[in-house]
Amino acid sequence: MITALGQVTLRQWGQHRLRTLLTILGIALGVSVFFAVRTANLTLLSSLTMTVEKLAGKATLQIVGDEGGFPEGVWDAVRDTPGVRVAQPVIEVLASTAFADEGNLLIVGVDMLGDRELREYQFDEQGSEIADPLIALAQPDSILVSRKFAERHGLGDGDKLPLYTSQGKKDFVIRGIIQPAGIGEIFDGQIAVMDVFNAQFVFGRGRNIDRIDLINEPDVDVRDLTTRLRAVLPAGVEVTPPSARGQGIEKAVSAMRIGMMIASFIALLVGVFIIFNTFNIAVNQRWKEIGILRAIGVERRNVQAMFLVESLLMGVIGSLVGIGLGYLLAIGAERLMSEVAAKIFSYVATQQPPVFRRDYALSSLAIGVISSLAGALLPARAASLLNPVLALHNVETRQRENVLGRGRMVCGLVLAIAGLLLVSFAPVRVGLDYQFVYPLLMILGLVLLLPRISELTARSLRPLMDRCFGSEGLLAVEAIIQSPRRTSATVGALMIGLSFVFSTSAYVGSYQQTVSDWMTRFINSDLIISASDMARSRSYHFSEDLSAKLAALPGVRRIENVRFLFMPYADDSIAVVTFEMDGWFARVRNALEDADEDEVRPRLIAGEGVIISRNLANRYGLKVGDKLRLAAPTAPFEMPILAVLTDYTSEKGSVFFDRALYKRYWNDAAVDLIDVNLVDPARTGETKQAIQKLLRGEHRAFIYTNAEYKRWVLQLIDGFFLINYMQTVVAIIIAALGIVNTLIISVAERKRELGVLRAIGGLRTQIRRMILLEAAVIAVIGVLSGVIAGTMNTWFLIRTAASMIGGFTIPFRFPWLLALLALPLTLLISLAAAWWPARKAVNLNVVEAIGYE
Amino acid sequence: MIELKGVNRLFGEGGAVKALADVSLLIGRGERVAVMGPSGSGKSTLLNLVCGLDEPTSGAILIDGINLAELNDDARTRLRREKIGMIFQTFNLLPTLTACENVALPLRLQGIGKGQAERRATAMLERVGLADRLAHRPDQLSGGERQRIAIARALIFDPPVLLADEPTGNLDSQTGDEILRLLDRLHDELNTTILLVTHNEDAALFCDRILRLRDGEVVREEHLRKAAR
Repeated sequence: MITALGQVTLRQWGQHRLRTLLTILGIALGVSVFFAVRTANLTLLSSLTMTVEKLAGKATLQIVGDEGGFPEGVWDAVRDTPGVRVAQPVIEVLASTAFADEGNLLIVGVDMLGDRELREYQFDEQGSEIADPLIALAQPDSILVSRKFAERHGLGDGDKLPLYTSQGKKDFVIRGIIQPAGIGEIFDGQIAVMDVFNAQFVFGRGRNIDRIDLINEPDVDVRDLTTRLRAVLPAGVEVTPPSARGQGIEKAVSAMRIGMMIASFIALLVGVFIIFNTFNIAVNQRWKEIGILRAIGVERRNVQAMFLVESLLMGVIGSLVGIGLGYLLAIGAERLMSEVAAKIFSYVATQQPPVFRRDYALSSLAIGVISSLAGALLPARAASLLNPVLALHNVETRQRENVLGRGRMVCGLVLAIAGLLLVSFAPVRVGLDYQFVYPLLMILGLVLLLPRISELTARSLRPLMDRCFGSEGLLAVEAIIQSPRRTSATVGALMIGLSFVFSTSAYVGSYQQTVSDWMTRFINSDLIISASDMARSRSYHFSEDLSAKLAALPGVRRIENVRFLFMPYADDSIAVVTFEMDGWFARVRNALEDADEDEVRPRLIAGEGVIISRNLANRYGLKVGDKLRLAAPTAPFEMPILAVLTDYTSEKGSVFFDRALYKRYWNDAAVDLIDVNLVDPARTGETKQAIQKLLRGEHRAFIYTNAEYKRWVLQLIDGFFLINYMQTVVAIIIAALGIVNTLIISVAERKRELGVLRAIGGLRTQIRRMILLEAAVIAVIGVLSGVIAGTMNTWFLIRTAASMIGGFTIPFRFPWLLALLALPLTLLISLAAAWWPARKAVNLNVVEAIGYE
Repeated sequence: MIELKGVNRLFGEGGAVKALADVSLLIGRGERVAVMGPSGSGKSTLLNLVCGLDEPTSGAILIDGINLAELNDDARTRLRREKIGMIFQTFNLLPTLTACENVALPLRLQGIGKGQAERRATAMLERVGLADRLAHRPDQLSGGERQRIAIARALIFDPPVLLADEPTGNLDSQTGDEILRLLDRLHDELNTTILLVTHNEDAALFCDRILRLRDGEVVREEHLRKAAR
């Protein structure tokens, strides 16, 4: 029987090609975003991990410290450990060449004598007398570059490569071209190799190295060796397999990944609404057909099965298209994510084509099909419960839609209020998985209330529409009042899309405003010089010599050296920001919380304690008086927490202390940021020019005035949320498809009505106006419900998500501008979406329409 | 009032189906003409051509001396709005509007203000005996009442021509008689030209003339004396 019913239902696809296409496209887009985000996530992690693993070569274990590295003396201890066959020191620097328009170049410092045992090097044939180019690195100006890099710049053996180092610009001589295999293919060929001790010197590492890569003896178990090595390593230096470092990276970029996964679910949810709407209307449209089927002996369950099988088919087709589309989208998404990972988290990835994972494809297919079935379930049930006598009757005797029942309204209100109360009053740290249920409750409640909201809004607009647009306005608004189910499904899709745009923008806006206020208080130096165009560089730093030169410039009152790095803490990492405390206190007042500032100031300046950020305190339950322990390579770092500071440096939490204290424990004098305070702030531009002149051709530095720096930070935040913005655009496109779908269905459903209108004298322009007005009213209701849902969602993001992901407290700021712009923009989208259905309505065959039943 | 000159209407590929074949007809002002014939004889096609919803393959149709072929779609729509009222077997009322709003709709489509349109609609509904049903929606009314509303809507412009497609087809015989009596009364009051398509011999007797169609051709024309009605 199902085969026969399948034929009946597939015939409908042929008759309603556009509607079928739009529905499938709705699922496809939802699934594509879901699949693309997962694939891009995976590809990015795989690219990051691959970079780590390729750099690790054959190493079975790696000795790593924090970003400041660890003393080279550790190398001796590791080499002498029984069971270690090979151990080689490594320095990694993301540096810049002095070539115009050249991106970052990953410079790997290796030991020329032993590194071949670890890493694969293949060199182009060359005329050099030295057979092994690695040996050539013994000369301090030597460097090896990848063939890709050499070809791009027309470089060959013996040519000069100018590089910005911590010592200023230096020319290196190319003494070998690495073929695109092994180490030569990392970071898309943007790689160069130099001697580790030379790298140590030119990049200001002092006597520190970043890493030791090692291979165990074949007869020694890696776990046993790990235990042995742990016994000889100083605090803060860890032994780990290369693969585990990938997991660390995964953790570092987790905030970005969580945000994107939420957005992809939203796109899918909007798709579910489209399916719901389509099937809902299909049931209404096929009222008579269902009646006939029931009359000739098709059981209720088979009627239900017919619709479910149809939705299953649509789900399968839509999901397959979505997976294909998602794979293409993943290329762009991964590129964007790589940029964010590099700019904000300072991780470099080797570009590679998206990884096609069969399990992701299958789960996307399953989610697409389940969403499709979920969307079709209620309409299919409604179809099966249809009274065949009524169904066979004339269309005008249809049952009124039963979606405005009291039970439904009460249930909707209860869910929405429960969600809101949970967001507002439930403890913050219940667990993100549970807490995501809160906004879902709110949204579900609103969805149940939507038919009533649609009906009430349409009713309240009726007199206005009648007065302003005459009979067309009246008919447009009546179409909505009489079909709350059809309208509310579209409004639902629009609501979710808009609420997501609204809440993302509101959240980002609130966050940016908060960060901007915070920067105004704390980042108030006249000029800020950064070693990187990213939020920070993990490997390239200034030296204190540069700061000394800047301090000598006329008009400069004070220079502050800032070191900004991440260190392991508990099972994660935290930001460590160190600077000259006395300078900081000179320009920042009344910033400290939970402490008497006058009392703790001298102690902080003297390096007797630390300040921690509020989010760090919240995250780990720390308070003033507790001791903060960090793993320092020279001695255990254990300092009292003297004060707390509301700070937005990192979502992981931050700790601040005096630079001298840091240098003492970490033996690291590198500088990431230089704050320049002037005698006369009015002469900022002049001093900036003087600094540019001083650094030109010598140092790669990014010089910002205070305003420029703030703007740049806000742009970084925008960049972080860029993919979320793009996903919201997809959600809006899906919602717009929903409008097209609804209006096409509305036109089809009201074919006779439109025909009668034409028959009794309605002009084509009047019919078009009517359809456009209906779209406009749907947009108004969509915006209204979208703003309500968006406000609730923003409240969730600020109250729960921001607190959970970043431990931040962000004051809620209602985005008035966005709320005001939402209506005209949505109206525009709606009217554009209504264009095709309106055209269809205008070109209706009146004779057929009047005879239509 | 209504004139058809050698009208042909072909359908299908290469005009395979001849819905109307060389039909010529003249109906004077205030005349009532019934069109009868079996299913597929071309009755509805004739009606659709006269009201300008369809166009003849060849031949000319004139309403009040105006050749429909010379009008574009908008002009034909306006002509329909002002000169032709239509009633249908299935009433074709807009289910979302009240009786008063349904009747006022053609006026409002012409840009007449809501107040004035509804005043005229109320007066028209009083004429058809539905003064107490102004705020009712179609699904709250009986079949006869719905057809009265449809008649009120068709005549709201006081059009010289009324086209009726099986107006009693969906009604029981008693209600059907009531509708015919109403049409008779309104005809006497307004002197409207009526073209009535029907299967029902009794309904046809309400007219002055009966045209019998078969396979698209007028096969017989009967003039009825008042006494016969």
